[in-house]
Amino acid sequence: MPKVDGVTETGTQRPLVGRVRRWLRVLRDDLWTVRADPLPPSTWLRWLPHGVLCLVAFGVTVGAVAQLNDNGGAGLQVAFAIGLAQGGAVVLALWRPVPGWWLSMGAMVAGAVEVRRHLLAGVVHDFTWPWTSAGIIGQMAVLLLLSLRVRTRVSVATLALTVLVTYIIQGLWGAGGYVPTGVLATILSAVVVVLGVALRGRREARAELVEQTTLTAEERARRTLLEERSRIARELHDVVAHHMSVISIQAQVAPHLVENPPEELKENLDGIRQNALEALTELRRVLGVLRSEHPEGADALDEPGTGAAPHTPQPTLDRLDALVDNTRAAGLDVVVEVNGERKPLPPGVELSAYRIVQEALSNALRHAPGATARVGLRHTPFGLSVQVVNSRPTHPAPPSPGVGHGLLGMRERVAMLDGSMTAHPLPDGGFKVMAFLPATPDATVPDAAAADTKAPGPAAAGPAAPDGAARTANNPKKDTA
Amino acid sequence: MTSSPIRVLIADDQQMVRQGFTVLLNTKPDIDVIGQAVDGLDAVAQVAELAPDVVLMDIRMPELGGIEATRRITTATPHIKVLVLTTFDLDEYVYEALRAGASGFLLKDASVDQLAEAVRVVAAGDALLAPGITRRLISEFSRLDNRPRAPLKDRVGDLTERETEVLALIAQGLSNAEIAERLVVAEQTVKTHVGRILVKLGLRDRTQAAVFAYESGLVRPSGY
Repeated sequence: MPKVDGVTETGTQRPLVGRVRRWLRVLRDDLWTVRADPLPPSTWLRWLPHGVLCLVAFGVTVGAVAQLNDNGGAGLQVAFAIGLAQGGAVVLALWRPVPGWWLSMGAMVAGAVEVRRHLLAGVVHDFTWPWTSAGIIGQMAVLLLLSLRVRTRVSVATLALTVLVTYIIQGLWGAGGYVPTGVLATILSAVVVVLGVALRGRREARAELVEQTTLTAEERARRTLLEERSRIARELHDVVAHHMSVISIQAQVAPHLVENPPEELKENLDGIRQNALEALTELRRVLGVLRSEHPEGADALDEPGTGAAPHTPQPTLDRLDALVDNTRAAGLDVVVEVNGERKPLPPGVELSAYRIVQEALSNALRHAPGATARVGLRHTPFGLSVQVVNSRPTHPAPPSPGVGHGLLGMRERVAMLDGSMTAHPLPDGGFKVMAFLPATPDATVPDAAAADTKAPGPAAAGPAAPDGAARTANNPKKDTA
Repeated sequence: MTSSPIRVLIADDQQMVRQGFTVLLNTKPDIDVIGQAVDGLDAVAQVAELAPDVVLMDIRMPELGGIEATRRITTATPHIKVLVLTTFDLDEYVYEALRAGASGFLLKDASVDQLAEAVRVVAAGDALLAPGITRRLISEFSRLDNRPRAPLKDRVGDLTERETEVLALIAQGLSNAEIAERLVVAEQTVKTHVGRILVKLGLRDRTQAAVFAYESGLVRPSGY
């Protein structure tokens, strides 16, 4: 309808008014604002000090040339050469402080010698000697640049030499009818060097602190890794030791189960028992080492409140329901989805899968309050795919130390079992942990795949798991929407 | 000791272990396995029902762990002794079990003779089981344990000098006979002392007395 209006005579006015109004509104939005818009850090700003010092160098050059030529009686070429050297010394000191200092000193000596000639000849009176004021400024700039960067010893040496040369020229050699600048130059140089050394010391201290902080962080990460490894090792040794003691019991029981056991059988069983006992002794030794390094930490999700977690056997996937119940009780909404036909898995795989789920849920509890978590287990002929996804937290999590600690442990476990793992944030603000644990270290046994045709999903080796996992990964988004 | 056999209940979540211990202990004429429990709750229930002399208790069990089960059993029926079965001897959970009221502990891979002997010792109650290791265990973990124990020291003051001496020797793992020899008195006298110590301190057996001795600071964890 409005388009039809636009064709009529009166209609042409209205779009114009409307356009003007729109423009005014845009203009108002653009200009009537106090929106903060800080200048982004730019690379060329880094060169600002260099620019300022180049200006100083230019001033020193011009000043020195003027002083030497007009008041000092030096020829224009000589004055120009000396002034250029003094200004150039400042620029040079930006990159090479010590040569810059030498240049500045040389120019000062040359200027002093040249002017002294005219002073003694009586041509020049009341000239600032041996340092010109431009020369003092140049020398101060050079000494500052130098003392900011080189070691204190070098700064002190250059200052001492500056004073010494000044003293030799003014105090020992001398001239007549001049305004002495030696003391002023000495004082100003000393002030600048002290300032430079102090600033440099502070900067170095800060750099050292940063370095130490980095080192500490690295050290902590390394220690965390080692702790995780020893924790994993302890758990696994624990499982092995448990099995070993059952073997020793069974070997002892077996001869009692038959009427008159033959001597060979008894001997054999006794051998089994002795070996089991020896293995146990060794295991206890290893575990003693592992335990003494890292006292058992309570697993928050195992048995909340009672602290009785360590009194239960090392967990397997059978205890997943209890874990999920505990997590729910702790305030996280958890959905569990198990796919595929469950087969007996090696104890290490079961334990690791349990621990991965536990750690992921614990992380979700800590870092994603109010979120929904989805635990997906998928049994394939080749192993077990574990996936834990949590949705976006409904409110920000309180800061907690030890972030990434749990992920580290998961990675270690997965790596130990020749599995694979990914953990990353999701675009919607959630987090996803996905791991595949092969049923055996050698996961690609074709016979096993052929024998087990009942398992749903593609029977095409390892990728089956990530494939299936990726599919379920999208679900939590739907849930939270 | 040719009276009625010692009645034993076995609590372990693994059937192999339960059956194994049953077969092994039943080979001994003076020991009679009267029941098996599959977890801590079951153990507590069966103890109430069967009233055994000794319970062989696994520490790690689902539902209710062995330590809590021990606590419940020894609180409800102090005369029933608990012998904790463990894969690891120097373990803080074993210490916890002793604190919870267990009379002793035994490695699961112990031989049938050690197993039977442990049951007998715990049932009789006149010696500490595996004195060396028990002492080490208690001394090691009582040192790490920093729970409040203020009233303990006062209670030592209730003991006579002789009784304090006897308590220290119990804590070192000596049996009644050994203590009698050391103090040059009759074994019966030692028994009387031990009985009085337990009554005065409100303890149920000498294992608890040993734990007490270390925790109260009467015996210092050193010199082993």
